[in-house]
Amino acid sequence: MAITAPDTTANGTAVSQTKGPLRRALDRFFENRAARAGLLIVIPILLAVSTYPLWWPFGPNAIDLRAMNKAPSAIHWLGSDGVGRDVMARLLQGRRISLLVAVCSVAISTVIGFLIGAIASFGGRLVDGTVMRFVDLAMTLPPVIFLLVLASIAGTGIAPTILVISLLSWPVLSRMVRARLLELRERDFVVAARGMGAGLPHLLLRHGLPNCIDILVVYATLQIANAILLEAGLSFLGLGIAPPEASWGNMLNLARSTVVLEKYPWQWMFPGAALVLTVLAINFIGDGLRDAFDPRSDLN
Amino acid sequence: MLSFIARRSATGLLMLVALSVLIFILLRLAPGDPIDAYINPSVPMSASDLEGLRERLGLDRPLPVQYLAWLGAALSGDFGFSIQRSGVAVLPLVMERIGPTALLMGTGLAIAIVLGISAGIFSAVRRNAPSDIALSVLSFVGISSPAFLTALLGLYFFSVLLRWAPSGGMQTAGAPFSTTDVLAHLILPACLLSIGHAALIMRYMRASLLEVLNQDYVRTARAKGVREFWVIIKHATRNALLPVITLIGSTVGIAIGGAIFLESVFNWPGMGLLLVNAVGTRDYPVIMGATLVIGVCVILVNLLTDVVYAVVDPRIQVA
Amino acid sequence: MRIRTLAFSIAGLLLAGIGPVTSVQAQSAKTIAGGFDVGPGGFPKNFNPLVATGGYTWLSTYFEPLVIFNAGLTEIEGDLAKDYKISDDQLSYTFNLVNETWHDGNPFTSKDVKFTLELAKNKASGSLFAARLANIASVEAPDDRTVVVKLSKPNGSLLSILSQLMILPEHALAALPPESLATSTWWSTTPVGTGPFKFNRYVTDQYVELAADDDYRGGRPKVDVLINRYFESPAAAVAALRAGEIQFTYVEPDDAGSFKTDSNFKVIEGASYVVNYIGLNQKVDLFKDIRVRQAIMYAIDRNAIIDSLYSGAAKPANCGYVAPHLVPEGLEPYAYDPAKAKALLTEAGWDKLNGDKPITLLTYYGSPQAANVMAAIQSMLAEVGINVVPRVVDTPTYNGIVYKEGTPDWAAFPMVYAGLQNGPNPAGLNPGLNKSQIPPAGFNTMRIEFDDLSTALDAALGQTDPAKLDQSWQEVCKVMNKDLPWATLWVANRYGVASNKLRDFVWTPAPGGGPYAAHPERWDIQ
Repeated sequence: MAITAPDTTANGTAVSQTKGPLRRALDRFFENRAARAGLLIVIPILLAVSTYPLWWPFGPNAIDLRAMNKAPSAIHWLGSDGVGRDVMARLLQGRRISLLVAVCSVAISTVIGFLIGAIASFGGRLVDGTVMRFVDLAMTLPPVIFLLVLASIAGTGIAPTILVISLLSWPVLSRMVRARLLELRERDFVVAARGMGAGLPHLLLRHGLPNCIDILVVYATLQIANAILLEAGLSFLGLGIAPPEASWGNMLNLARSTVVLEKYPWQWMFPGAALVLTVLAINFIGDGLRDAFDPRSDLN
Repeated sequence: MLSFIARRSATGLLMLVALSVLIFILLRLAPGDPIDAYINPSVPMSASDLEGLRERLGLDRPLPVQYLAWLGAALSGDFGFSIQRSGVAVLPLVMERIGPTALLMGTGLAIAIVLGISAGIFSAVRRNAPSDIALSVLSFVGISSPAFLTALLGLYFFSVLLRWAPSGGMQTAGAPFSTTDVLAHLILPACLLSIGHAALIMRYMRASLLEVLNQDYVRTARAKGVREFWVIIKHATRNALLPVITLIGSTVGIAIGGAIFLESVFNWPGMGLLLVNAVGTRDYPVIMGATLVIGVCVILVNLLTDVVYAVVDPRIQVA
Repeated sequence: MRIRTLAFSIAGLLLAGIGPVTSVQAQSAKTIAGGFDVGPGGFPKNFNPLVATGGYTWLSTYFEPLVIFNAGLTEIEGDLAKDYKISDDQLSYTFNLVNETWHDGNPFTSKDVKFTLELAKNKASGSLFAARLANIASVEAPDDRTVVVKLSKPNGSLLSILSQLMILPEHALAALPPESLATSTWWSTTPVGTGPFKFNRYVTDQYVELAADDDYRGGRPKVDVLINRYFESPAAAVAALRAGEIQFTYVEPDDAGSFKTDSNFKVIEGASYVVNYIGLNQKVDLFKDIRVRQAIMYAIDRNAIIDSLYSGAAKPANCGYVAPHLVPEGLEPYAYDPAKAKALLTEAGWDKLNGDKPITLLTYYGSPQAANVMAAIQSMLAEVGINVVPRVVDTPTYNGIVYKEGTPDWAAFPMVYAGLQNGPNPAGLNPGLNKSQIPPAGFNTMRIEFDDLSTALDAALGQTDPAKLDQSWQEVCKVMNKDLPWATLWVANRYGVASNKLRDFVWTPAPGGGPYAAHPERWDIQ
């Protein structure tokens, strides 16, 4: 569960005080060279992934037993695999699946994490105690076991993989949200709202959510990178996306065979490079966002 | 302090019970039981024989009965026998794995801590210089590389092609035990393991040192004419280490569970490999036993981190 | 600097755990190390031969059965039994035993055989032989060197069952109650056998080390130490083989290719004796029509898959068997013909029956090659309008789904890609096809209830005239070819790779690991 450290390279220059906080955060974000580089990598990737069936002649699952294990060429830019499927098409489809899994699982875990953290902080002492022990329990559970058992219950495929990854990653977020909201709870405007009889949903959505948005955004971007790695790892253990569906994990899984590792390097090198590049870019963006939302960065 | 430790131990015990219930339920929800793991679908057997086995293992009893039977035995220190390995008791089996995992993780983390902290200091001091940017990019690549891929590539290049290190296991099969032999088997997986951790520690160290370098007491030290080297080493680094200790603490807690990818690629006889294996063969008693042992370790390490933290930073009070 | 102190104490603790430095002993003992339990024939970490479903290649280096298949798996020869006689009514088997001593020095006698057979028949010991040996009426030991086994009913498979039953020492085990045998540590600490090697030690989950038995009746083994290393995956074993740490292992077909061009290694190739098939669940409505089953056969280009994905190392199967003596003349070859497949599907009303709704193709085969095969099958079936979705699960999940007690979820396994042992004893297919073998009674997971087929199988099983035996099994093949209980695919080859340093090394990819007469005492290393 790699959570990258705050990077203070974002060197926010003096910004006019008339701009709103969100605007200033965005300005700071675009000042950040690494974050800009991240965006420059991610945007073309997203474009390619969403449009590739329109301009790429091969489908990800179209086999061709006469063109097995072909090296990169003008026809197959990134070569072909063990049943003659086009590596480029599978790479793009795999990226589509990996991103789908990552985005969905992060969305789910963000919602769970926020709700649990928020309920703990606003629900009173008893609720807080119970919920937080539950969170502790989820964190004590060795991730290895949780991962393996959950994956074997849920089975393989896209939906189960999303489920497994989201159930695995929410506890950290709910702790951060709780810490933030506990402090918020005692502030005047929240006390006032409660005094006027505001219900829990109102408190959460009107006051809780806006005040946690920075935590959520940063968590979500960084967690997307983690989810991509986790998906690849699960598929490597045979628990994630099952072949023949393309995913980075099961494309990289081919490298387990010495023949592929040695003689057909294009079958694992390209997906490997694509994975590292994408995760790298998302990490850059996440770091940029974290700095941008850090109110102290203007002071540096 | 003592009452704090006592209170945490009590909640820890309750947590372990809850943990065992949770794992028990999860396990029984997973499709396939130990007998199903036993059947090779390609080799015909008689089904009636298998029924006998199920009965003997007590798997046909109602679930609450099975759980209470397990709990009762476990409370008296009896974690039962592995189903898939004839006659091997669970507790020694699991305990045996702590050593190798601690060795691998300890060495890997030690390398990571040395590399990460020195690279972090270097990077922070040379902030925004080309060497800082190069190190930052490198650390991001380290964080972004999947562990199983680095393990596979490392194995292939260093063991199979270059033959610098043995390809797996913890000792040469058949040779008498020797420390140099174990070290030879240890070095490659430990180095590969350290990559990700070193990258992470470096990021934390760099960020935290930059923050500390801005603080008043560091400026005061500089103003007093203390040499820059000593400012960084003596005044800044020590304080910048605090968040890094928290990070290392949480890593150690997780580390007891073993590095599944590295251990499976390198056949390292640690906790991770035991678990992958046990889940794959639905070896219920082993999974339960291992979970509890890991749970105990995680709770202990968390407690220890809090205590160490309080000792290092007197401002923090545990009560 | 508390941190430093902490770091030092951690380092100190770790080093203390390792213990004092000792020099590596010179490797004077001749050693062969291998991954004998890697792959489908292995059953790693199992030490109790009564409950083994595989791993016999390794177990038979220190235990021995009464009779054993020869290395070609073509006939059964004597092992602990010098020879044997079968009475004319097939009800009485007389075994004459060899002179041998157990590894602990006690003499091996007919009492041990009687003890083992009775133990194997006793369900309480956890023995997996109990049902298969149920028709043994009595075991007599008229003298130290003779055993007479009496049956209540002829059993043509008795000898091949006995070839997997390792004879155990009465003097060591009789004192233990049978119930405690399954959890006894005897098997993995101090087992005593009669084989060419004796058990030395087991380093938990890493390897087993055997030492030469000096007074073995076949002569003292040529190597001093035999080691079986455990590997989590064939890939890890291949890495160890290429790094020169072991001299032998099973390899995946893909990997075998890369060793063929390497002069340091010898690739051993042999039939797997496992027929691969697509099982068609008879409890779902889709596959009750014979025309649909025929269409599936015509739609899959088996020769193309064999040529490309198996590099030609598989034989297409038009029934459950490919061995020449079991395959009759005049079988329908189901040559690749997608047009015919489409026509048959139209005739059967596939549009109304299913159309292009996805059908799960469940499998427990997790190898990269299997993934490729499934991808090829998926795409070939899609061509004719059958939309299958492969689903790979681990073995326990697969068994949990297909053997589920009560009423299984038929929709979870309408089609399976699986395999079943079809030799050397052809009766191996019976549990998967006979209507009497529907779970929970047996292993007919596809719930096939074809009367013709069951009749043919029963006839072949009950055939007491050895001269007519092949003909009976040919009849089974003929019915399978006509009725298509499964869409049979092929029997593939399997591979082992041995270092060229090995001499007189015998290995064959026997299903479940055999056992077969590998004569480990003759293995040598340069």
